[in-house]
Amino acid sequence: MDEKTTGLINPLSLARRRILVTGASSGIGRATAELLARLGASVIVAGRDEERLARTRSSLVGDGHSQIAFDLSAIDEIPGIVARLAKEGGALSGIAHCAGVQAGRPMRIVDQNFMDDLFRVNVQSGLALARGFRQRGVPASGAAMVLVSSVSAFVGQASNVVYCATKGAVVSATKALAVEFMRDKIRVNCVCPALVETEMADRFRTTMSDEQWQGYVAQYPMGIGQPADIANSVAFLLSDAARWINGTTLVLDGGLLAG
Amino acid sequence: MKKQEFIRELALALERPDEGLQEDVLLADIPEWDSLAVISFIALVDEHFGAAVEGEKLAAATTVADLIVIVQPHLED
Ligand SMILES: NC(=O)c1ccc[n+]([C@@H]2O[C@H](COP(=O)([O-])OP(=O)(O)OC[C@H]3O[C@@H](n4cnc5c(N)ncnc54)[C@H](OP(=O)(O)O)[C@@H]3O)[C@@H](O)[C@H]2O)c1
Repeated sequence: MDEKTTGLINPLSLARRRILVTGASSGIGRATAELLARLGASVIVAGRDEERLARTRSSLVGDGHSQIAFDLSAIDEIPGIVARLAKEGGALSGIAHCAGVQAGRPMRIVDQNFMDDLFRVNVQSGLALARGFRQRGVPASGAAMVLVSSVSAFVGQASNVVYCATKGAVVSATKALAVEFMRDKIRVNCVCPALVETEMADRFRTTMSDEQWQGYVAQYPMGIGQPADIANSVAFLLSDAARWINGTTLVLDGGLLAG
Repeated sequence: MKKQEFIRELALALERPDEGLQEDVLLADIPEWDSLAVISFIALVDEHFGAAVEGEKLAAATTVADLIVIVQPHLED
């Protein structure tokens, strides 16, 4: 039975939408790909490793999904890759840009290479995806893009200066992209998660003693986040339920910054 | 990377290029060994050896020699 016969609606439905999810081999990106598929989307899962991508792809419900392996640090390749995806498989309704890297470095050991690496993957790749998305023939009607920033855009952390700077840049870019892409009818928003239990958080955890980790997690009034908590908001921002939401930053932190 | 090279890198990260680091020195006696130095050490190991330092082992280290023991498996003879 469909909506016409039951009167029931699902404003989050992504049926017949083709959506590219970067970082889909792990953590937040994988959870996002899984949820988008459950909401009816055809998902293109992206990352660097074919095998890890194949694992995500095989976990998706429904059909019409595909995978593509490419390195997001090759910035000038990205617009062409996005154009090809649209040409070969049909226009894209959305991009969920979940790929990113975190590495802690006190300023005393930060150098150009380190800064370049982080800015390339965390900032420039998103801008290049945006450039690719707005090309003629690429966006479907109701197109939307969601970038994944972090609460690190708003809260300073010692030894995380470069990462914080990249995430602040994503928030600023989101607003400017939203304004520039109005004429293209592409909405652009971003989410800012606090600590989420993913492979990234696991790596962060191994560098601490148990006691340090317990102290860190204890700051979270509602516990740390799950990948699905982020996926839910990404799906919402991509759906027509968020039709009037543009250039916004959604903080997802279990109340961390409220108190 | 040889042991002496790593010690030199660590001394640089601790901003002690001239004084260097003696292996038997207590970390507590090195003024530059603070919480950010700990993260610098973790970052050096990640960068040079692609390895993650276990927080527990690092918390138990009391001398420069203890830090060397942590990276020993990655050092050349
Ligand atoms: N976890 C948290 O606590 C947290 C908090 C706030 C914000 N975030 C942000 O959320 C996003 C996802 O984080 P996560 O926790 O899910 O991280 P994760 O588990 O480490 O996954 C990172 C993903 O990014 C992909 N990636 C990294 N570098 C890439 C490159 N050069 N080219 C293509 N793909 C690349 C990885 O794919 P490969 O398979 O190719 O490695 C992987 O799929 C990041 O932007 C992160 O900064 C995370």
